Amino acid sequence: MALIEGTNIHRKFGKGDLVTHVLKGIDISIEEGEFVAIMGKSGAGKSTLMYQLSALDEPTEGKIVVDGTDVVPLDESERTAFRLNTLGYVFQDYALVPDLNARENVMMPLLMRGMSWEEATTRADHSLDNVGLEGKYLNLPGELSGGEQQRVAVARALSGKPKIIFADEPTANLDSVSGQSVIDLLTRLHRESKQTIVMVTHEPEYAEPCDRIIHMEDGKITNIKSRT
Amino acid sequence: MPHSMFGRSIRIGLLLGIRQIQRASIWTTILIIFVMMLTFLNLIAVSGVLVGLITGAERAVRAESLGDIIISERDDEDRILETEAVVRELNSFPEIESYAVRYSGAGTLEANYKERRDLSGERDIASVSVTGIDPTQEDIMSNLSSTLVEGEYLEPDEEGYILLGAYYVSQYAEQFGDIFDTVDDVHPGDTVRLTSGDISKEFIIKGIIQSKVDEVSLNTYIPEREFRRLFGRIDRNADLIVIRVRDDANEQAVKDALVASGLDRLAKIQTFDEGKPKFITDIKNTMNLLGTFIGSIGIVVASITIFIIIFINALSRRRHIGILKGIGIERRAIEFAYIIQAAFYALAGSALGALATYGFLVPYFEANPIQFPFSDGVLVAPPDETFIRFVVLFITTLIAGFIPAWMIARQNTLNSILGRK
Repeated sequence: MALIEGTNIHRKFGKGDLVTHVLKGIDISIEEGEFVAIMGKSGAGKSTLMYQLSALDEPTEGKIVVDGTDVVPLDESERTAFRLNTLGYVFQDYALVPDLNARENVMMPLLMRGMSWEEATTRADHSLDNVGLEGKYLNLPGELSGGEQQRVAVARALSGKPKIIFADEPTANLDSVSGQSVIDLLTRLHRESKQTIVMVTHEPEYAEPCDRIIHMEDGKITNIKSRT
Repeated sequence: MPHSMFGRSIRIGLLLGIRQIQRASIWTTILIIFVMMLTFLNLIAVSGVLVGLITGAERAVRAESLGDIIISERDDEDRILETEAVVRELNSFPEIESYAVRYSGAGTLEANYKERRDLSGERDIASVSVTGIDPTQEDIMSNLSSTLVEGEYLEPDEEGYILLGAYYVSQYAEQFGDIFDTVDDVHPGDTVRLTSGDISKEFIIKGIIQSKVDEVSLNTYIPEREFRRLFGRIDRNADLIVIRVRDDANEQAVKDALVASGLDRLAKIQTFDEGKPKFITDIKNTMNLLGTFIGSIGIVVASITIFIIIFINALSRRRHIGILKGIGIERRAIEFAYIIQAAFYALAGSALGALATYGFLVPYFEANPIQFPFSDGVLVAPPDETFIRFVVLFITTLIAGFIPAWMIARQNTLNSILGRK
């Protein structure tokens, strides 16, 4: 069975005459160890699809099974626990807690999982080293560049060794050099540890390293390209 | 390592809360703590001063009139039986520092009768309370001589002299209007006539005494021998014996010992707290209630302040709250972070308030009582009551901090992340 299996996913917003049908019956399957890019123009529904697959949102209709768990019927607290234990996130504008330093930002999900302070510190430092942020453990997000902040976000997503990492346009707020370095980082992680990554992007060059590229348009999957 | 989800939430909430406090604007933090300190002071000081008015009066009565233990007639008797035997027994108690035996009566005081030319005119008389005392004994016990405002204190063994309470003398009592029955313009050295029933005796005014204790200012004092003659009290049984115990002695223990010695067969023995008029306790409770009510308004204002501060704080971090939930942080951890902040403000404000109360205000008002016509007001802040008020303030503040955090944290995770309504 695929690691992510989505069947007939619909997502509508609004009520009555103002209903917007954003996802229109998506079927999707992602295998363990795959690096998948979801591409499309603005408004195509790529981020909305990612939110459904990553249990951040509930579809109006359809079934989504992630790592053997049907995530649609989960309540808020169960979803939170599921995300904590199974998924990692990289948001487009870093999404770090400004009051916490780099190490503490990375430690957050580890502490929530019940890890001891010492163990979480060691793991966080290792994750930060892994994304090239040696010696910046105590820097606040405001003291780091955009690229560095996004690396902290990647380190946070990775630190818990999640089954799947979801990255929502991780390069959107970065210059091309920083953006490419983040993509290189994700590619390296995928290559070295066969990490499953689902990334939303609208930049074709950033999708090049991916195993599969899913194209969306008007709430539907229009094309799937596999790298040969 | 905390294994339960609740324990983990507490740990993360603590980390988030502490860091938010650390990174907050120092001036904002100072302002909030200042508001909490004022709230604490409002809660403690308002009722403390109101109760302190009565406590000041109570202390004065204890110091200048009734002492620590009061011996009076039994309910079924007119006077203290076998007073001399009672006094002998008191002398055997080392815990008793001093005592005063008092004889009480009511009489008519007449002044200016020698200068009176028109015998059909109104006499200058006043109905007065008369207390017969041993001047030395009384002064040791109640320091009566310290209340002199004119003249001198009674000498032991001298006769024919009287001390007049100031409220019986017109020039001292006129500030109170016509409340008191007075004689006109008398001074030490003047002669007055004291009458009880058919017996009258002339006295020379030795001094005029004035105190915020009515039992002193509305009294006249003469030596006990003359009192007994004037009032025909040949049995030598007194009306009141007031006792001061040593500082290191416990008045309740001394009272119990007096009762155990059998004196309760001859008289009623009460500690000051037992014997003081019930209305004093009632007024204190009323003042306390009034102070609590006024202080409660302060709590409401502080709660609203904390609510607004936490609400704005949480609202401005709504996206981060959504992200924290998105990466798997429990909602209650986030709520707890804001409760920690509210707790910090309440604790810091209360600690400073307590420091100001016990380090400055209480000692200051002890040294410089507020001058009221009927008492020297102090600030009363018993630690146990202060603690209860602090707990009320603390819990109210926590609730005021929790509600806005709960309101923001319960919002849909994705809507918070995306800034959607």
